Amino acid sequence: MKLNERSVAHYATCDSPPDKTGFLFKKGERNTAYHRRWFVLKGNMLFYFEERDSREPIGVIVLEGCTVELCESVEEFAFAIKFDCARARVYKLAAENQAAMESWVKALSRASFDYMRLVVKELERQLEEIQDAAGAGGQQARPKPSRRNQVARSRSGASSSSSSSSSLSSSSSAPSMAAVYSAQKMLQDEVQLISGSSRENGVAWSKPPSASANGSAEAAPSRAPPVPPRRLGASLESPVSPDTACFSKLHDWYGREVEELRAQWLQSQ
Amino acid sequence: MRFNEKELVCLSRQPSEMAAELGMRGPKKGDVVKRRLVKLVVNFLFYFRTDEEEPIGALLLEQCRVEREDSQTFSIAFLDEAERKYLFECDSEEQCKEWIDSIIKASYEFMRKNLIFYRMEIHRLTGKDPLEQYGISDETRFQVNSGSHFMARDTSSL
Repeated sequence: MKLNERSVAHYATCDSPPDKTGFLFKKGERNTAYHRRWFVLKGNMLFYFEERDSREPIGVIVLEGCTVELCESVEEFAFAIKFDCARARVYKLAAENQAAMESWVKALSRASFDYMRLVVKELERQLEEIQDAAGAGGQQARPKPSRRNQVARSRSGASSSSSSSSSLSSSSSAPSMAAVYSAQKMLQDEVQLISGSSRENGVAWSKPPSASANGSAEAAPSRAPPVPPRRLGASLESPVSPDTACFSKLHDWYGREVEELRAQWLQSQ
Repeated sequence: MRFNEKELVCLSRQPSEMAAELGMRGPKKGDVVKRRLVKLVVNFLFYFRTDEEEPIGALLLEQCRVEREDSQTFSIAFLDEAERKYLFECDSEEQCKEWIDSIIKASYEFMRKNLIFYRMEIHRLTGKDPLEQYGISDETRFQVNSGSHFMARDTSSL
């Protein structure tokens, strides 16, 4: 399949500011040694260069639809970029220290176009609500109907989120692998955000989450999880298709991911 | 330059906001108009021979300019080679407008500008940073960069 490669390479080196840059070790395809490369993340494209001052990238990894996982490896601070399509290649990378690894994993997990689109839509919606509220003399804006349908599953409620959170904290108390522990820790922090404990910003137009199992539709907007869901291939409805309530569905998928990761970790004990 | 072709082909099969059969002409001298199934997925424009599963090619829609050429035709040119234009012939003026609008919005950089605009506007109106509650306010991709404009390029069509 053709690609407008020259222009894509130009995007890598043009003066639009990159989202992240740094050295990483990349495991080769045929030659399975790790090679040190200069990486440039822009949008949903991860470019890699032979040297920091190389004028053209050796290659690019299109990150749309990927998941980023910590991985067991002889190499320290290793993580992998995986895709859900058949016979997809797994890209194994390694950072130079723990902080760099965590930072890259975070950045790559949020690099997809879909995720950016969700955040933009959410802010757009919030701005509309503010403007409506200002117009209607401070009345709370009603959420759109489609959002309610998506919150029917009990998983997205406040109660199930906090139980996930407490189970995570107990299972990570005796870790056998440093890498898994730090993954749990990161997820733990992010699950805290979902249960909404300390993050209400107290603005008039944002209601605190209700105690009921399915959560209120109004609560859904203030609990967007930071990590996008695993894509399940072409058959899975896009989270940003017109009929889908964005954040609550994302939240459901995220809950599933956390459960899977925890189950995996427990199995490995 | 290497790229993950398999995954890109996989991406081309995803549900799309915009897909239609259009007349497409490549940028090279001597290229002629051919009927292609053109499909927009995230910031990629895929093009297929009609009834084929695998796309012939993909265009990453960053750093490009979309222009109206005539009432039913639009072009895409990339900023590094502005004279080379890909031409697309639509069936109606309406369709042409829709495609131009969609392609302009199909860039990551465009979304980023909108996000920064909304973020700043919400902050201006409420005194709060809307990204703080999601724990992503420090992410580089959401920052206002020095030297770049704050306003979204075109919010009227949003």
